[in-house]
Amino acid sequence: MSPLDRRTFLTRSLITAGAGAVGVGVGTSASDASAKRPSATEQAHSVLSDELATRIPFDGAHQSGVLTPAQDHMTMLALDSIAPNGAVLFEGLQALSAQARRLMHGDPVGVTEVDDPPPDSGILGAYDAPDALTVTVAFGAALFDDRYGLGHLRPKRLVEMPNFPNDNIDPTRSGGDVLVQVCANHRDTVIHTVREILRATAGKLVVRWTLDGFQSAARGPTPRSNKRNLFAFRDGTANPDVTDAVLMNRLIWVQPGSGEPRWATSGTYQVVRTIRMHVEFWDRVGMLEQEQMIGRYRVSGAPLGGDGEFEDPDYPSDPDGRRIKLDAHIRLANPRTPTTANQRILRRGYNYHRGVDEAGDLDDGLLFIAFNQDPDRQFATIQTRLTPEPMVDYITPVGGGYFFAPPGTSGPPDWVGSGLAAT
Amino acid sequence: MATFVPRFPLQRMRPTQRSGKGRLALAALAALAALVALVAVGALVAVALVGSALSPAGLFGGSRPFSVHRLVAQANPSDPLGVRITRVYGTTTPAKIYGTEIGQQEDQGINRSGQMISDLSPLAPAAFRGPVSAYKRYAAGWLVRVSHETAVLGAALRAGNRAAAESAWRDTWSAYLHLGAVYGLFGSLDQEIDGMPGGVPGGTSSPHFSGLHRIEMGLWTGQPPHSLVRWSNLLAVDVAQLRRVLPGVQITPLVYATRSHEILEDAQRDLLSGMDVPWSGEGVLGTAAGLVATDEVVRTLRPLLGGRDNTLVEVQNELLLLSSALAKVRREHHGTWPTLAELSITQRELVDGTLAGALGALEQLPGSLEAAALPEIPNIPAGQ
Ligand code: HEM
Repeated sequence: MSPLDRRTFLTRSLITAGAGAVGVGVGTSASDASAKRPSATEQAHSVLSDELATRIPFDGAHQSGVLTPAQDHMTMLALDSIAPNGAVLFEGLQALSAQARRLMHGDPVGVTEVDDPPPDSGILGAYDAPDALTVTVAFGAALFDDRYGLGHLRPKRLVEMPNFPNDNIDPTRSGGDVLVQVCANHRDTVIHTVREILRATAGKLVVRWTLDGFQSAARGPTPRSNKRNLFAFRDGTANPDVTDAVLMNRLIWVQPGSGEPRWATSGTYQVVRTIRMHVEFWDRVGMLEQEQMIGRYRVSGAPLGGDGEFEDPDYPSDPDGRRIKLDAHIRLANPRTPTTANQRILRRGYNYHRGVDEAGDLDDGLLFIAFNQDPDRQFATIQTRLTPEPMVDYITPVGGGYFFAPPGTSGPPDWVGSGLAAT
Repeated sequence: MATFVPRFPLQRMRPTQRSGKGRLALAALAALAALVALVAVGALVAVALVGSALSPAGLFGGSRPFSVHRLVAQANPSDPLGVRITRVYGTTTPAKIYGTEIGQQEDQGINRSGQMISDLSPLAPAAFRGPVSAYKRYAAGWLVRVSHETAVLGAALRAGNRAAAESAWRDTWSAYLHLGAVYGLFGSLDQEIDGMPGGVPGGTSSPHFSGLHRIEMGLWTGQPPHSLVRWSNLLAVDVAQLRRVLPGVQITPLVYATRSHEILEDAQRDLLSGMDVPWSGEGVLGTAAGLVATDEVVRTLRPLLGGRDNTLVEVQNELLLLSSALAKVRREHHGTWPTLAELSITQRELVDGTLAGALGALEQLPGSLEAAALPEIPNIPAGQ
């Protein structure tokens, strides 16, 4: 491929730059269009696919990676702080945000002295393409214990994740002071980001647990069709509409005057559940039974008795569960009544595959991620209602935690969590 | 695509006939398989053979040589052989329906209104009465054993003898697992007797975490045997209670048919993975008990399974393989059940792999044992 085709480069930038928040990064050099020689950033961009060139802003009223459509790859990093005091902790968090901002923007990899270790691992080449990277930072309840004197700032509903019936939570795979959700279009971008973040925060934050996730490919039949989870059912169909700002303020973002500490406004609670799915067991279940457990057709994703994925299951006309059983997953998760409307959550989960367990069974599952304004009113209510669903025989929640993702940042040098230092 | 299962039972073949015409029969079977493949891939021209040569008698016992008579376009691909069947083993459904309509539906996987349906006509629910009572007698027998072993366990704990208590714990727990997949049948009793701390608020330190695994935790983490006596007392009470309720427990055909494969599924998921035996590691012992329970359930179901697909034969073969795999491992450990950690890689692979194979056969049981037609799902009313 030729190093630069300026015309192609500009055209593509113009077309895609209009796509809203998710635009194509044009680097810092679009203004020097009259210059004879392209900058390193321009050169790099000219050979990037649109996917790699896609940039999502780090700064904004809310953090990205919440309403952002799920990129194909993710790694969840749960970190514990070993900082001896609050000042050092804040330094670590500042470094975390600065690194995230730099990587999400995409930069040419700097060159320093040849006898110094390079400042970037370089695994993405000479240019860290943005690749729709999002780094979303959240805090666990543990951060507000007595180590750093932050107790009075703890978001009101931030507690250690309760032990729900049917849970089998492994402490080494749950909890953490700081949660970092790294998502991007390509696996190497995610791995690179994890590596650079750990490098920037070394000595202050250490990994407690981590898990890699992936999205299934978009296999249609329409661009809107949702992708499948590892039980082969479409996942995400009935999510609330993220483009509806009013709805997001009602369901996702913490509002002023809700009794939460002021710094938490515009943040959101992030519930993470590592849910092992016993896929061999599931594969031994008859098709109809699978569909009845979920309440939808496996192939189309339509509610049972319906035709289209996005059709309303219409529970009022099915009071006895002849179409969709009363204990079907979707019916318990969201009975779609006026009183349950404010319990809805935004699910942004990822499939995972961690090899096999001791008995030779696949260790596959769902890294369930839900964003909500109030985990008691929303997530926990749903989770409790799901207790008797027949699907519980095929899944085991093994890890995760409750976290709070603070509001977004105003631009450098602001950092995620700066509200903790300001108050 | 549905696997090909001969609609006429091969069991009718007598050994003498088979030996006499063995090669012919095999050739005929090969041709049959080819035929089915042809039809199944939707070949436009299917093959019809002379009816008389293809009746079961013609195939296996008749004197006429097997031959392709003529090739014609087949109007009814689900019945390419023109075989007349009058009676089908294992069902009271008239052969006309079983062999043609239901068979036709199976091959297409859908009924006339386009919905997916089951391949076999449902069994009468009453047919399960005998198997369920036989299972209950079996379970009652093992419960007597559980009571006895619980008493031995209690005595060892009171005597402060850890080694004896561990051995008694193994016997008690193994005896209990011989009951099979009992969850849900006995209300909360099963959780109290064999429950794990996960899901109990407070986990391992909760006073609600009781039963065999509470004692397991105590014994294998060095708690004084005396401190566990209260749990064995409670266990004895629960077991006695279970013996009282067992005769009255309702086990529906659906539940019974499902349990037939769930016992070993649970063994794989909870026991061989180490999940439910985190302290003792006795996953192999528990699996061996689950195998005995499965064998018993399958034995009671034998009369119902005759002629329903090839399920029984496949299941029995796989269970036999599993039991010889376990026996081999036990021999290699001088007649005792090794803990999970004591398994060599080869032994581990043998046990895991054979169990996975057995589960592959057992998964057919619930489908072969359906006692009710699958429900039709009504459509969402129009005008939404
Ligand atoms: C491995 C575990 C899970 C699997 C396989 C699973 C699968 C599914 C599927 C296939 C759907 C239907 C498609 C859709 O609307 O997205 C669905 C919907 C849903 N699930 Fe789950 N789910 C799991 C865990 C959970 C958990 C832990 C929760 C919350 C506590 C939850 C809450 C929901 C909700 C709220 C819906 C939407 C229902 C509606 O609005 O109609 N799910 N899930």
